[in-house]
Amino acid sequence: MGVPMLEIRNLCARIEEKEILNGVNLTVNAGEVHAIMGPNGSGKSTLASILAGRSDYEVTAGSVKYCGQDLLEMDPEVRAAEGLFLAFQYPVEIPGVSNTYFLRAAVNAIRKHRGEPEMDPFKFMKFIRLKMEQLQLDDKLLSRSVNEGFSGGEKKRNEIFQMAVLEPKMCVLDETDSGLDIDALRVVADGVNSLRSPERGFLVITHYQRLLDYIVPDFVHVLVGGKIVQSGGKELALELEAKGYSWIEEQVAASR
Amino acid sequence: MITLEKPHSLIANFETIEGVLSLFGPASLLEWRRSNFARFEAVGIPTTRDEEFKYLSLRVLSESQYQPAYGATIYREDLDAHSVCGLDAYTLAFINGQFAPELSNIAGLPDSVIVADFEEAFEVHSEEMSRLGSIATLEGKLGSTNDERFVWLNSSYLSEGAFVSVPAGVVVEKPIHLLFLNDAGHGAFASHPRIFVQVGENAQVKLIETHLAVRDDPYFANAVVEISVSENAILEHTKVQLEGSNAIHIANTYVHQRSNSTYTSNLATFGGSVTRSEINAFVDGEHTETWLNGAYLGKGEQVHDNHTRIDHAKPNCHSFEVYKGILDDSSIGVFNGKIFVYEDAQKTDAKQTNQALLLSPTATINTKPQLEIFADDVKCTHGATIGQLREDALFYLRARGIPGAEARALLVYAFAAAAFERISIEPLRNLLESMLRARMK
Repeated sequence: MGVPMLEIRNLCARIEEKEILNGVNLTVNAGEVHAIMGPNGSGKSTLASILAGRSDYEVTAGSVKYCGQDLLEMDPEVRAAEGLFLAFQYPVEIPGVSNTYFLRAAVNAIRKHRGEPEMDPFKFMKFIRLKMEQLQLDDKLLSRSVNEGFSGGEKKRNEIFQMAVLEPKMCVLDETDSGLDIDALRVVADGVNSLRSPERGFLVITHYQRLLDYIVPDFVHVLVGGKIVQSGGKELALELEAKGYSWIEEQVAASR
Repeated sequence: MITLEKPHSLIANFETIEGVLSLFGPASLLEWRRSNFARFEAVGIPTTRDEEFKYLSLRVLSESQYQPAYGATIYREDLDAHSVCGLDAYTLAFINGQFAPELSNIAGLPDSVIVADFEEAFEVHSEEMSRLGSIATLEGKLGSTNDERFVWLNSSYLSEGAFVSVPAGVVVEKPIHLLFLNDAGHGAFASHPRIFVQVGENAQVKLIETHLAVRDDPYFANAVVEISVSENAILEHTKVQLEGSNAIHIANTYVHQRSNSTYTSNLATFGGSVTRSEINAFVDGEHTETWLNGAYLGKGEQVHDNHTRIDHAKPNCHSFEVYKGILDDSSIGVFNGKIFVYEDAQKTDAKQTNQALLLSPTATINTKPQLEIFADDVKCTHGATIGQLREDALFYLRARGIPGAEARALLVYAFAAAAFERISIEPLRNLLESMLRARMK
């Protein structure tokens, strides 16, 4: 199996004075799809943000290794260039920067990091039009500013589209299903499934089990109070769906 | 106790070089220079106690001594590093205010169009040149704090300059580039460049005005631009300010617009240590469009002061103004936007926006929209915003692999780009874009 893609050990983090993660342990190997589920405020999005390198959080203990390297030491752009991708829960609108320009800048920055030459504009356009088709995105969106005036569904599809273009090794999806109707959810899930491969790892963060009907995980973890309290196969998600989170929260409280 | 101060060199020099100046142009100029000088001498260099200079300290100007501008040699190869000099255009070049025929090239210019230095213009086009100074004045116009002293100073020392005249009905395809080069390697000088532009009825022309230094020694450039845009004429005027990092640049641009004309000013301010741009558009005809767009970038201790003024004197006219300031380090920005709507100017539609991006906690912006409206059926809006680079946008770009410095440059460019949107000369727009990016890194 070799070096794990992502190895989180006893990760503790806080924002200002508030402790949010209290010792998260998780290992994702290449080819695996892991889902993290949990109630609101359990630390799911904090975990995603820390993995992508957002500086608002202070890591107080623990480590994260990405392909054997210390992830927490890397700048966000280095993480991205090394193949880590976060699909944002709230994609950011950037007026004045066209989607095409932005994508080209990202692709070329990553290629530069790998010591590859820049992609010529003609090839690039051909490449991204193909990916757009797969995600059923209107190619008018290419000339528009990044996420500006996009509908909720368009923003989420745009995230998966970027993921398809950047071809990362490790994909972290932060509540990509929130705000999607069933058709959009299916398109997003198809996009993700088409990227599943033995070389790629996925960490799918979601509040609801619904997404996991479409993106079927190999492992499901439950995050409560900043800690993974239970892990299992895909059937764990169904159990949570049936019983709700209170069941597991009570169990945690009882064991303390 | 009475202390006798030595007069500032800008005043003392006049007597010294008046004799030399008198050899230039018609005899009538002699009196004209003198009367302008008398007016400047009476008021001198402004201080921050003068209303129109409230936020612009000109102490550096007051405390420096300048000799009259002198000749210098700049070779074509020296300009290779400055890509703006290589734009495909009819080019008229000046070095330290003096005409530089060796760097000029107007080959292929349509016969009826005049692009000439003042020496030639006074000789061959004396009738048109007799109107010099008629536009660059605020006399009789509204406003209680009008301050024209730098126009007077420029006129006091009037010698070389650029004259552009496009006759009625002519459309000049290629831009006309007026290139003011500076080399102060032999001591600080004061130069007073002057531009006089006439665009005839139904004529169309694109004008590029560049001020550039080939080295960083201090000097003082005090430019005056006079523009007349006749009925149905269209003028696109882009100014690129790349003065040396120790230079003081003061520029007064006056525009007079007739009915159905369109004047577009695009201003890119990058250079200089202390700079002031005043653009005054007098709208003297109905159904006109006036666009004033500007972007200024402050780094280090730079001070950029932008004053704009639009006089809506006639009804049914539109003006649109977008100024974008990017202020880093300890730089200071000033924006003052005046719009006067005269009593007769019903149905005026004026829109003013000025935004500043402060990239450092020690950068400053002073912003003051100033609308004075004397008509009752008008639409005038103004908006001023001051902000920082958005952290969430920066993180988003970095999370996609774009390095921090590049991401910042991209966001800053996106912010400023709106000010360059109306530059139709694509190579020029691309050039300004890359300059902005390069300076952000």
